[in-house]
Amino acid sequence: MAETAVATKRPKVIVCDGNEAAAWGVSLANVDMVAVYPITPQSSLVEYLAKFVADGRLDAEIVDAEGEHSVLSVLQGGALAGARTYTATCGPGLAFMFEPYLRQPGLRLPMVMSIVTRDTLTPQSVWGGHQDAMSVREVGWIQIYCETVQEVLDTVIMAYRVAEHHDVMLPVNVCHDGNYLSYGAARVELPEQADVNVFLGERNVNWHAALDPSRPMGVDPLTGGAGGPGPKMFVKYRKGHCRGMQNALKVIEEVHEDWARLIGHRFAPLIESYAMEGAKFALVTIGSMTGAAKDAIDEARARGVPVGLVKIKTYRPFPAQAVVQALGSMQAVGVVDRSVSFGWDCGPVFQDVTAALGRAAARVPAMSFIGGLAGADLTTDHFARVIARVAQLAQEKTPGATVWLNETD
Amino acid sequence: MQAFNTIAFKPEQCTGCNDCMVACAEVKTQTTEISRSRIQIVPADGGGYELAMCRQCGDPKCVSNCPAAALAKDDGTGVIAWDGNKCVNCLLCTVGCAYGGIVYEPAAGHVVKCDSCGGDPVCVKACGEGALKYVTTAELYKRVGDLEDLFVPGLAGCQGCNTELIMRHTLRRVGPETVLATPPGCIPGMGSVGYNGMVGTKVPVFHPLLTNTASMLAGVKRFYKRQGRKVTALALAGDGGASDVGFQSLSGAAERGEQILFIVVDNEGYMNTGMQRSSCTPYGAWTSTTPVGERGKGKTQDAKNLPLLMMMHNCAYVATSSTAFMEDFYEKLEKAMEASERGFAYLHLYSPCTTGWRFPAAQNIEVARKAVETNFVMLWEFEPGQGLRLSHPIDRPRPLAEYLKAQGKYKHLSPEQIEHIQRSLDENAEFIRGLAAGGSARKGVTLPRVPIAPG
Repeated sequence: MAETAVATKRPKVIVCDGNEAAAWGVSLANVDMVAVYPITPQSSLVEYLAKFVADGRLDAEIVDAEGEHSVLSVLQGGALAGARTYTATCGPGLAFMFEPYLRQPGLRLPMVMSIVTRDTLTPQSVWGGHQDAMSVREVGWIQIYCETVQEVLDTVIMAYRVAEHHDVMLPVNVCHDGNYLSYGAARVELPEQADVNVFLGERNVNWHAALDPSRPMGVDPLTGGAGGPGPKMFVKYRKGHCRGMQNALKVIEEVHEDWARLIGHRFAPLIESYAMEGAKFALVTIGSMTGAAKDAIDEARARGVPVGLVKIKTYRPFPAQAVVQALGSMQAVGVVDRSVSFGWDCGPVFQDVTAALGRAAARVPAMSFIGGLAGADLTTDHFARVIARVAQLAQEKTPGATVWLNETD
Repeated sequence: MQAFNTIAFKPEQCTGCNDCMVACAEVKTQTTEISRSRIQIVPADGGGYELAMCRQCGDPKCVSNCPAAALAKDDGTGVIAWDGNKCVNCLLCTVGCAYGGIVYEPAAGHVVKCDSCGGDPVCVKACGEGALKYVTTAELYKRVGDLEDLFVPGLAGCQGCNTELIMRHTLRRVGPETVLATPPGCIPGMGSVGYNGMVGTKVPVFHPLLTNTASMLAGVKRFYKRQGRKVTALALAGDGGASDVGFQSLSGAAERGEQILFIVVDNEGYMNTGMQRSSCTPYGAWTSTTPVGERGKGKTQDAKNLPLLMMMHNCAYVATSSTAFMEDFYEKLEKAMEASERGFAYLHLYSPCTTGWRFPAAQNIEVARKAVETNFVMLWEFEPGQGLRLSHPIDRPRPLAEYLKAQGKYKHLSPEQIEHIQRSLDENAEFIRGLAAGGSARKGVTLPRVPIAPG
């Protein structure tokens, strides 16, 4: 489908925040069914969806469910009947949604759900942080983290191509940072509907598992216990799920390439390497913090400090090969997380990066930095401190304990 | 094969008053001579009474004995009709009958027999004791007998369980254009969703979470409606999931008026997982989580009245049913099917559990009937604007003890506990009757005093 159209029309430009941008993405993606329940900092997103439906801009069935648990359950039913579906949530809402959330990827039901990231309770917080999305990183959903408002809009659309690809058939979380992206307004180019239609093609989300009287089947029967064929069948499903996740790495790259060709917007699909040429040590970032980090890198580079940056865009499946390729020869790496791994006293992205390097037998000293919790700002000053500490690590090769960046703000 | 309506006789309720015979004689002979009645109640050996009357046999010996083709079984009604124009008065028919159902009547000069009064037998109407009943369930068989059974044979229920009956009847009637949700419980446990890749139904079926049956069905139905396809979204759920952990999604879907046919099979607990207490478990009942011991005396709270809660959602249709009253169930099922195309339709089916309630497998229908006849549960229906209507009012309830004694789960009850159950029963009955008398359930309703559970 990619050969047929090229983005030649002048893009329509609007100014909006990340929540509205996500709603525009949904509207352009010809979604059949949305289910909504409000929660800070996602609420304005579902208000935009409701308004788009009320205005006739989005021709979708909208279900005002009585909670996030039902939000996702309604959409699972819709998807099993054949619908392209969307919702958004965060924090406690995601926690309440967890039971059907666990089930969605196992059913191999494609959908897109935005996580407008928020720190989890408790301590009470309604502000941004990645703890909610990071807490569900091993459930089997694809997770993509956005850096800018434009990327939020574009990624919501691209995510449907990824999710519905027959080699993938998995749900995608498009994560955008609460506060910084949810409410941060920016110039955004709206792709042409006709181009998006060509890009996405016809949906076919329930060819494999359907609740449809015209082709009756039992959806998700018990696999059965030991002594029968059940466990073997279970393994087959689990392995298939893992294969779908790995297939997604390639599909995400293809989809981003197609998007760039059709729409003219180019985003790094798995990881973005920034100022990595000639870099001797590097920072790893994820999400909206990357903007400030890039500024700090520019300042350091201007002073002759050989530091680069790798941004994680696709976090699940983890792009281990790309990470090793980018970081394997560094003298030191500092990973900045916006959440916590309680089991390891570090950030979760740090865990993944060091695991990838370790599996590849690349001995790179690495340190974990945690910042931006509960909506705290991560500034160029914070990143300058990170750069200095990682420069020291590159010299001394002895990693210190996790650094909590906003501890003394 | 055919099924026909028939007059049934319960000897234990007959007092020998002769009212039925008088009524018959009046209609058939314009006299009060009971000897000429087509129904004969006669003293039985060993006391009591027995019935001598035509059974409208399926394989009638009177018909095969008749050399003149004067007797014939009607294909439509099943009644064996006598044709005086053909009869040669040989009386061979009377020799064939083992029931005294066709006899020579001197006053008439030929044989006479019961003709069921064209489907409205006067003897039944005359019986004030409930000993005679015109059983019309054959109509059900005629209506649905040829419909396809959409469950596979050999579902793995406990012996004597009524739920298989419910599943087969419901799906047969609702038909193949259905998506069926069977949340965790006895119904999938019997194999409807199946094991090892096998499935127990011929319609699309799935195993929702215990918590989200109504929500998932709402999504299914909304999308088909959007596509202009008529598909019934049907739930066959247990009382536990519906009244406890799944109540939020049930309530949400009902409030939104999702077009779902939601059937709760109430066996008063989590029977599939080993008979634990649910909020539908009645006061005093033994369950595996309200065990009886030195201190424990069964459940200490009354059952949540889930159908009443659903009524207060102003659903398109709400009704209670019992497996012992299948005609009533079918009537309500059909109304619920129709209502589910307009909004949320809710059917609450009381279904005794042989295993968990501790009674012999053969007594399931009997226990279900006693629950209704003691007013332990009440059969009613509700439609917006029309209010609540009792569909099977019991004005002279049988003693509660008959129901409680039929089940092992109540065998430990103290007199105080029985008194509590009786009081709750009376208050509930009064409340429901008040709703029925009040017409629209939304006006003139005074909530009863909440019973205080002792202990």
